[in-house]
Amino acid sequence: MSEMNSDRAEPNLTPLLDMVFQLITFFMLVINFKGASLDLSLKLPVLGSARPLERTGKLEPIVLNIDSEGRVKAFGETIDIEQHMEREARLLKAHLSLSGEEARGGLPVAVVIRGDRLATFHLVNHVITVCQNHGYRNFALSAMTREEAR
Amino acid sequence: MRRRRRHKRDQGSVEMNLAAMLDMAFQLLTFFILTFRPAPIEGQLALHLPPPVPTTRVEATMVDQKGEGGESQLDLEVLHLQVTAGAVGDVKQLTLENSATINGPMDSSTLQLLERKLQSIFSIQGIPFDRVQIAVDRELHYGELMKIVDVCSRLKSANGELIGKISFTEL
Repeated sequence: MSEMNSDRAEPNLTPLLDMVFQLITFFMLVINFKGASLDLSLKLPVLGSARPLERTGKLEPIVLNIDSEGRVKAFGETIDIEQHMEREARLLKAHLSLSGEEARGGLPVAVVIRGDRLATFHLVNHVITVCQNHGYRNFALSAMTREEAR
Repeated sequence: MRRRRRHKRDQGSVEMNLAAMLDMAFQLLTFFILTFRPAPIEGQLALHLPPPVPTTRVEATMVDQKGEGGESQLDLEVLHLQVTAGAVGDVKQLTLENSATINGPMDSSTLQLLERKLQSIFSIQGIPFDRVQIAVDRELHYGELMKIVDVCSRLKSANGELIGKISFTEL
């Protein structure tokens, strides 16, 4: 029995563990938490001049996904745009008044519109108008910088 | 002496069982691989979109009476574009200040023509326009409109500043 034990080959697991930890580190660094707010099934317009959004304040932009049928989604759920923006604007105004800031020239949060390229204008315009009615003035219209091969 | 010391160290060394840690590491790795979604190559057109400006003095007065007088302004500062849609949601015709027209569809040559026409207007010193208002056919596809918005967002005034104010109205 003791002879059998002494003959048993034990693999050195340390390099394997090193490699796995390196892979975990890689995936942890590239994980995209904002991806949850994006509806990746949308076909965005293609514009070469689109640039990544420059964020100036601490507040996160509001991301609205509009599909070709005019349904508005935020974080994967279909929302009532009127209620959603009313609530967002109310919370933001409360936050601003608590921090003693003033919203001059519109609320200081950008609205990112991710509209499907086949959505008709009146569907997108309705969403923009609702946002404008609640005091939002800064918009970022999302587009692909180049056509994606699908 | 040498042999005795070596024997003593062998007896006292602790060997960790790496298998359990490796199991956990593989579970973490599996989680990250399954939840991994590469960020799309996506950009934004940042725009300041004020509400549409009334096109007549009567409308402007009505807006003032509603209590939004702070944002209503004279129509003189607005350059009007009008876009009509074809049967499949593409651009049929684009009218600039009710005069110059460009017929669709919007390809690179027509977009360049539009940019040249708009830029020639905005590059004149003392021109009263500071924003573009696009009246859009409600059936126009958003992707087609974005091509026009892209051109408008690149316009510069005579002093080299970008014309960032664009608003939309429905035809």
